[in-house]
Amino acid sequence: MAARKAASGKLALSPILDLNEASALHGKLMSMRGKDIVIDASAVERVGVQCVQVLVAGAAAWQADKKSFLVEKASDAFEKTIALIGISETQLIAKEI
Amino acid sequence: MDMNEIKEIFFQECEEQLAELESGLLKLNDGDRDPETVNAVFRAVHSIKGGAGAFGLEELVAFAHVFETTLDCVRSNKLEPNQDVLKVMLKSADVLADLVTCSRDGGSVEESRTRGLVKELEALANGEAPPAAEAPKAAKPAAAAPVAKPTDDSGFQPIPFTFDGFGEEEDVIEQFTYEVTFKPTRELYSKGNEAALLLRDLSRLGEMSIACDIDQLPALESIDPEASYFGWKISITTPKSEDEVRAVFEFAEWDCELEVKPSEASADEELPMIPVPFDLSSLDDEPVETVQPQAETAAKASVPEATSSVAKAVNAAVEKKESAAAAAAAAAAQNNPAAAASSAGQTIRVDLDRVDRLINLVGELVINQAMLSQSVVENDTNGTSAVNMGLEELQQLTREIQDSVMAIRAQPVKPVFQRMSRIVREVADMVGKQIRLVTEGENTEVDKTVIDKIAEPLTHMIRNAVDHGIESPEKREAAGKDPEGTIKLSAKHRSGRILIELIDDGGGINRERVKQKAIDNDLISPDANLSDEEIDNLIFAPGFSTADKISDISGRGVGMDVVKRSIQALGGRISISSRPGLGSTFTMSLPLTLAVLDGMVVTVAGQTLVVPLTAIVETLQPEASAIHSFGSNQRLISIRNSFCPLVDVGRILNFRANQANPVDGVALLVESEGGGQRALMVDAIQGQRQVVIKSLEANYTHVPGIAAATILGDGRVALILDVDAVVGASRGQSLKPEMSLAAAG
Repeated sequence: MAARKAASGKLALSPILDLNEASALHGKLMSMRGKDIVIDASAVERVGVQCVQVLVAGAAAWQADKKSFLVEKASDAFEKTIALIGISETQLIAKEI
Repeated sequence: MDMNEIKEIFFQECEEQLAELESGLLKLNDGDRDPETVNAVFRAVHSIKGGAGAFGLEELVAFAHVFETTLDCVRSNKLEPNQDVLKVMLKSADVLADLVTCSRDGGSVEESRTRGLVKELEALANGEAPPAAEAPKAAKPAAAAPVAKPTDDSGFQPIPFTFDGFGEEEDVIEQFTYEVTFKPTRELYSKGNEAALLLRDLSRLGEMSIACDIDQLPALESIDPEASYFGWKISITTPKSEDEVRAVFEFAEWDCELEVKPSEASADEELPMIPVPFDLSSLDDEPVETVQPQAETAAKASVPEATSSVAKAVNAAVEKKESAAAAAAAAAAQNNPAAAASSAGQTIRVDLDRVDRLINLVGELVINQAMLSQSVVENDTNGTSAVNMGLEELQQLTREIQDSVMAIRAQPVKPVFQRMSRIVREVADMVGKQIRLVTEGENTEVDKTVIDKIAEPLTHMIRNAVDHGIESPEKREAAGKDPEGTIKLSAKHRSGRILIELIDDGGGINRERVKQKAIDNDLISPDANLSDEEIDNLIFAPGFSTADKISDISGRGVGMDVVKRSIQALGGRISISSRPGLGSTFTMSLPLTLAVLDGMVVTVAGQTLVVPLTAIVETLQPEASAIHSFGSNQRLISIRNSFCPLVDVGRILNFRANQANPVDGVALLVESEGGGQRALMVDAIQGQRQVVIKSLEANYTHVPGIAAATILGDGRVALILDVDAVVGASRGQSLKPEMSLAAAG
């Protein structure tokens, strides 16, 4: 499926994923619907729950679209916060099926 | 939004909380024992403490903490909120308010005051009866001592898990396991709290496992990024007590659902728990510079592992979610978080400047619309054209806009009245009197500008009433009165104005002494023959003070004259009536707004004047037979078999040298605040209009008999008549009453 492969995107997360960033992140995700996506979380320094909510909803949406949603280079802070708030990484990843 | 703005919002909220606190305490003082009242009081102090902690206002936190502890005893029914207890609490509320003010504006509260109250509060919390007997000074080193530092509990809690197998039990610390259910609301986040940080703090108490409940999370397209959907079930094993676990959520307690309970071994686990084993130090508020190599490699290693294990797990997670989706959709429709949020947060904070700008603009709109109407009327004589009809609608719309805009600024007088109860308390304490303040109609609304400006004169009058009005308990008892005096402060709307009354049941005005004082101060001549009312009104004369000794409270030379002047500057009036032995009543009448006025536009000696519509009772065309002359140039008009003095406005204002013939003009029957009716003679009525008030004092200078100015539809300036001043002048008083008193002396 060549067409599908061509349509993939990268999304680099901002360093501070706080309340203010949640809407922006939501907007970015909404604009990238329909194609595979790789999330670069390497620069993340702080993560708030609301951004995680958006990311988890994003992973579910991509899963429903049968597209891949992958968190690639997670920073230490990102990983730890995700674990701290009880989200398994599986909830943040959707795979092209 | 920078820190200062956030801090400013905190102080605004503090003011609201303080008002809440005070009204709650006063309710309790009146015998209200509703647990919700106690809760509201507790919540107010708690919120102030929480915010103050976030800004590092330690003094405030310290005091609020002690206060809160005592309130908690009331809340848990350990302490009966009787009069003595409430007296201490009310004083504490005052100190708390002062601490807030000091934190905002700088300065400091006398340490002795704070310390004394802290002792009293602690004594109450410890079950000692007030007033606290001299507490041993060495017992507690400082007020701040019992305060737990709530947020910045940096560093780790040592976890005692290395001793297993060894029999040395001396240092074994008992561990408890708690189950915590935590579901934040949207407000938690919007107030700047972060659930992740709370969970981090919680994880530091001990060994923690967590399960996140994501069932409420809607689909990506319908998610509100700022709402709260996640909830958590946490199991934590810690040596800490339940209260200490709760303390983690201390500042978020009102913005979340929280349950902390000792774990039951057979807890049914609906959600798989994820242990939180990580070293979370990198999540500290301050970024840690040194990167731990192990953590990094662990991170790298976990990526491929995670991706490989993803497929199965994700299916499980998403399937679980989908199966719940149908049920959740129905529940979500009812339980819509957005709807819940909208019902909670129905107010917004708006900078007053913005509202003022809007009001000014609407004022300009009114003037502009009047100008437009006028030019249309001039060009369209039959008044039926579509333009004319449209204009009428526009007028109505303008009117509605204006009313709505004014309603934005309308506020209840409650906060001002509440401030007065503190003043009564303090001053009464200082002079050793027992006084009770009763307020009435505190929800009466009036424009914010008016509210801001009445606080000062009202404060002065209240001080006066406490210091001079109410007698000492002994005197009152001797006079057969209740030793506790009563001051009643009431507000009500009356004919488009707000009427504020201050009634005391004190001794009333000692007319002999007032008169003597006025003579001593050269305010009146010794042989002046004054009516009771005139003597009472002498207290409004500049530089009048009847206090025998200059006290700290009132009688500093700036007396009731200042009060009168500031009320007048507001377009208001003040009057006094007093009955010896029974008390005095001060009545203030103020305009509801300082921005617009309904007026009757009239012509007097070629000048256009505006008469406030609220003052006019009726208008009539006098007939020659109804006019009766007496004295040198006094005239009466008979209206339905009663007589009413006729006042020529043009003559009073010196627009013309001689009185005009009443038959040629129109009489406006007006009612003045001082009572009684007058018929004001004007030459002609032009019409009725809403006018925007422009201050004469600010733009020109005060003109006796004129309250303000306005701009008419044709762009000309018209003066707004001060009906009371004109009526007063017609009674023989000059248009400058204070001058006449001085002249008499």
